[in-house]
Amino acid sequence: MTSARGLRSAVAALALVVGNVATAAAQVPTGREAVRALRFPPLDFSPPTPERHEVEGVPVLLLENHDLPLVNVFARFLGGYGLFAREWYAPAMGLPALMRTGGTDELSPDSVDNLFEYYSIEASFGTGGGSVSIALNTVTQHLDVALDLWSDLIARPGFDADAIDLWRGRELESARRLQDDPGSLAYSQFNRLLYGDHPVGWQTSPDDLAPERVAQERFREMHRRIVCRENLILGVSGDVSWETVRPRLQRLVAALAPCPESLPRAPAPAIRRGGGVFLIERPLEQAFIVMAHPASVRLADEPTYFAATIGNSILGGGGFSSRLVARLRTQSGFTYTASSIWTMPRRYDGVVGATTSTRPDAAVPAIRLMLEAMEEMRSTPPTQAEVRTAVDGVVNGFAFNFETPSQIVSRMMFYVAEEWPEDWLERYASGIQRVTPAQVREVFAEQVHPDQMTILIVGDPERVGREQLAPLGPLTVLQIN
Amino acid sequence: MTVGRALPWTLAWAVTIALGLAATESPAGAQQTPGERLPVHEVALSNGMRFLALRRDGAPTVSFVTRYGVGGVNERVGTTGIAHLLEHMLFKGTSTIGTRDIAAERALFSRMDATHDTLLVARARGDSVTAGALRGRIAALEDAARAFVEPNELDRIFTEAGARGLNATTSNDATTYFVELPSNRTELWFALEADRMRDPVFREYYTERDVVAEERRLRVETSPFGRLYEEHLSAAYTVHPYGVPVVGFMSDIEALSRRDVESYYRRFYGPGNAVVAIVGDVDPDRIESWARRYFEGIPAGELPPPVLAEEPRQPSERRITVEWDAEPRLRIGWHVPASLHADAPALGILGALLTGGRTTRLQRRMVIEDRIATAVSASMGPGERFPGLFFVDAVPRSPHTTDEQERAVYAEIARLAAEGPSEAELERVRNQIEAGNVRRISSNLGLAFQLADSESLTGDWRSTFRQSARLREVTSAEVRRVAAEYLTENNRTVAVLVRREGP
Repeated sequence: MTSARGLRSAVAALALVVGNVATAAAQVPTGREAVRALRFPPLDFSPPTPERHEVEGVPVLLLENHDLPLVNVFARFLGGYGLFAREWYAPAMGLPALMRTGGTDELSPDSVDNLFEYYSIEASFGTGGGSVSIALNTVTQHLDVALDLWSDLIARPGFDADAIDLWRGRELESARRLQDDPGSLAYSQFNRLLYGDHPVGWQTSPDDLAPERVAQERFREMHRRIVCRENLILGVSGDVSWETVRPRLQRLVAALAPCPESLPRAPAPAIRRGGGVFLIERPLEQAFIVMAHPASVRLADEPTYFAATIGNSILGGGGFSSRLVARLRTQSGFTYTASSIWTMPRRYDGVVGATTSTRPDAAVPAIRLMLEAMEEMRSTPPTQAEVRTAVDGVVNGFAFNFETPSQIVSRMMFYVAEEWPEDWLERYASGIQRVTPAQVREVFAEQVHPDQMTILIVGDPERVGREQLAPLGPLTVLQIN
Repeated sequence: MTVGRALPWTLAWAVTIALGLAATESPAGAQQTPGERLPVHEVALSNGMRFLALRRDGAPTVSFVTRYGVGGVNERVGTTGIAHLLEHMLFKGTSTIGTRDIAAERALFSRMDATHDTLLVARARGDSVTAGALRGRIAALEDAARAFVEPNELDRIFTEAGARGLNATTSNDATTYFVELPSNRTELWFALEADRMRDPVFREYYTERDVVAEERRLRVETSPFGRLYEEHLSAAYTVHPYGVPVVGFMSDIEALSRRDVESYYRRFYGPGNAVVAIVGDVDPDRIESWARRYFEGIPAGELPPPVLAEEPRQPSERRITVEWDAEPRLRIGWHVPASLHADAPALGILGALLTGGRTTRLQRRMVIEDRIATAVSASMGPGERFPGLFFVDAVPRSPHTTDEQERAVYAEIARLAAEGPSEAELERVRNQIEAGNVRRISSNLGLAFQLADSESLTGDWRSTFRQSARLREVTSAEVRRVAAEYLTENNRTVAVLVRREGP
């Protein structure tokens, strides 16, 4: 049975059931031509802008929105584990978690938990290595109690010794479980392979968690260095006014000490060059593949940055519209997921590469397709249509940058903290619209070198095939303990 | 601690005012939740398709959720994974979108499908040489057809329009498609969705089936947790299809024919089985006129036959182990009634009391005090329409064993069943429900999901919000009763992930 016949017979049969609808079916044009004929009005939209305030020299961004009785408050401190020596890794990484779970100078950890859960206060405490981000979400009615408690956790944490012990035990267990999931194993080992003894390459080890390294005073020291006034930017969004929230924020800021000394600079990474194939042997039904090498494009208002961004979208960052998904998934059926990677930090080099997972016998063919796709980006400019798809997605979807007040406030906090242009989104949209196919090819030709990829495979060596791997570069088997 | 239960009233009131709704008093003093008062515009087409449209202030974006009331539960062993494969196939385009020459494509489909029929016969005979050759033949034919394909065109149209999050998900109960668009392109969704509902083409079929096999390898065959969950469901259900994996068994995936998939689609994915929720910067009247214009003319389709399978009462505890190269893990599941059963709210509260926060009974005992686990959580699944399972998952903290986790879980459940929760515990959970009633309506996409799910499951989008009102009324005695009645030894299935011994 062909599709066409199937369609007609099904329609005919169903039309009998529902009566007169078959005639109506013919009236509405759909399909490609109908879609192309649609015309859309321009979006009439002026995004809300947060108000700028200050409390004791600390910037505060506020965006009121009274649709729902909810308030979000954000604190962002510069500083994190990425700025300090390895011996400080665990206390700096665990600092946000212990601020949340270690009680305050007055309240035990249990009392804090009880208050949070009784009032249904949601809070998140996290770090990305360069900053510590702390957020609060509460119903308006409990804003006072929530904000005071949250402020105490920030400014006067208890770092209860038993809470540290609890955290330490869970971290040790996470380290033990690192190899349970092959995808996580691949990514963590790949970072280690590329970045070596640099914060990006670090994984928490039992040495990091030795009791003397995570003693209470070491958390206090990290708190002293990071959670201090000059490192702070505050943001507020939701059902609240400046008059209401100001005294509470003043209380928080007043409780914070001035920063004792400036933060260390993040160490520049020495990213592995020179390529090669690395294998972690696991008898798995799929091989997990990650490849990359260093790249020097930086986040900046410059044509190279925009060309690399659009090029990455075309290669494998743009989902189904990208080449890697088209070739590895849509055309070959090798994988459920494939994408390119191109990190472009502001101050240091990043990496460019790609990742996928596939059945073992397709691993080498998949790697070849990925390398070929990169090579083509170097040798031939992408089509104008590919560039247009990537650019239109950003430009037409611009409104999604303003979906929630908290999203707008958090972004603006980032700009202020990083001294980044506050009109960056507009610059970005304008920058990518100037990208030409030739610029994309140029940036790939200069930056991307398929023959220099460091390739990591977690998988079954027999079924992947050692002989097939050989032409890809010198093979090293990694032993993971 | 003395904090009054002031939260419920003022909160509901505040939301009513904030949404600018008429403060209509419901009869007999029954208090409506914020969700029930949302001004949802309902449209029912003559073919049975239902639309729910809700205008919200904010950014000029719109969330679309289309839910078909057909999923894994409607499948039979032999053709498992068909709903999930269909989920994938509906992104492949139509007779105009995704093609350069539909007639040329279709001519090759019939040859490919005939070759596939022959392949299945060879497989059944165990003739792997012939099977391998036929696979190569199918791949060659599909490559030939690819010359006429405009790859991923549907995705590209959405992407260029600025869409976000274009995707779909298949569960036991339903298949759900979703996307967000800038609001000036709302009509684009109608044109594309109506086109693929009326006229989908299952091109690149055999390649996509391979993609689904890779998805299964990724989620189940290389994942210790995925495997543990699949084995657990399979042990807990001996009769009801909730025991069969939604992604399908590998041998079924590899045998599904394009014909199977097409006929399944023609029967069960019509407008009569579809609910659409549209939330965001929209004019509900425009939504209604577009809904009628684009979808009214599509034939209703059938509804899936009723699922009559009933899981017999479990006579005794079931236990399985899954060996893996991974640290141990535990999953326990007790048979419980469906989500609309009168006992479901008390079971929901029971879950919140056991693991819904750091102060709860299992978290407190296992993670914080005894420190035998790094995580413990309760949940319900694997579906809502039919009797499901009350799960407890635990991650042991070395050197503690899964036996210790089990003993702690059973001891706390027994204590709760004997003593019941304190009023303070219940009050805490009620406050969380109240705050949750506000938080859950804050995202347009999240809200669209809730409206579509509720309407599809119960025929009334409000039921999801009424359920949460019912949660607030659960008493200590009800919690004790459901704990004692359902969380018993004979009624449970225990699955343990154990490290594989030897090399």
